[in-house]
Amino acid sequence: MSISDSELLSKASVLVTGATGGIGRAIVARCLAAGATVFAAGRNEAALNELHESAGKALIPLCYDVSDENAVKDTFRQLQRMVSDGVAPPLYGLVNCAGVMLESPLSVTKMDNLKAQLNINLLAPYQHMQLASRLMSRLRRGSIVNVVSQVGEQGSSGMSAYAASKAALTGATKSLAKELAPVGIRVNAVAPGFIDTSLTSHYDEAAQQAVFKRVASGRAGTPEEVADAIFYLLSPQAGYTSGQVLGVDGVFTP
Amino acid sequence: MDNQQKLIDAFTQALGIEANAVTDELTYNTIPQWDSTAHMVLVAELENTFDVMLDTDDIIDMSSVAQAKLILQKYDVNFGQ
Repeated sequence: MSISDSELLSKASVLVTGATGGIGRAIVARCLAAGATVFAAGRNEAALNELHESAGKALIPLCYDVSDENAVKDTFRQLQRMVSDGVAPPLYGLVNCAGVMLESPLSVTKMDNLKAQLNINLLAPYQHMQLASRLMSRLRRGSIVNVVSQVGEQGSSGMSAYAASKAALTGATKSLAKELAPVGIRVNAVAPGFIDTSLTSHYDEAAQQAVFKRVASGRAGTPEEVADAIFYLLSPQAGYTSGQVLGVDGVFTP
Repeated sequence: MDNQQKLIDAFTQALGIEANAVTDELTYNTIPQWDSTAHMVLVAELENTFDVMLDTDDIIDMSSVAQAKLILQKYDVNFGQ
């Protein structure tokens, strides 16, 4: 018999990066509802404090820039200290949700912009996986979920930098699933399509309709629908699932 | 329990070997039990035992029991003489 979500997550912590974004907030809420302690990471201190006020002590805000290597190390030291002092339960889950999306044709993409995509969408989640897996391996269990994209899975004209960064994260996901399985850590990803968040809020009505023509479901997805998929992969219900990329896209062709 | 004994316990626990096999000369990848997976578990065990968080460079350098002691000393874990 598999252990239930509430049994496991009520005694565990989950770190969510990009916690104040649309999908981030939804997965934070989902984890809190399951009884988990959530380390909510973001750069917007006011938004983090607001989350903290509404969620109470089950939510521990962590304000730092995910692409600042030293800040990430300091954060994990802080996290490790809280766990060893009994302030928070052991780290079981990591959701790499923080990301940025650049829409830019090849001819006008600056190298600095490409590097920024790679820093935030690939290197930052990679470092988080490196540090989180060390904490998880102490208990020989853990679950990591990366938020990738259908743009990375299928490609999209005018979005090569973003697509490359997300496709690289998919590659890391599949490889780390194999590498970390012996220590009881699962690594999966969700690949959202067109989701109603701040990343897509600049699309006007006409642009949205043009996108919806390429979505079989004919509409945008919601952050909650993505969070449901993340939560499934995070939970013991997916205990025998690793190295997978779960599309949450209403059947989308970017 | 002194730090030397804690270190031996961490190695025996992580690598699944007998305590008498944990000598300063024991080196990474020279016994089947100390492979890359076990190395990760060992790092976690040492961090947990001594309540430290090792830098990646130190994890890369941790190629023997003797080296592990030297590295841990950087984190104020002393082994006496």
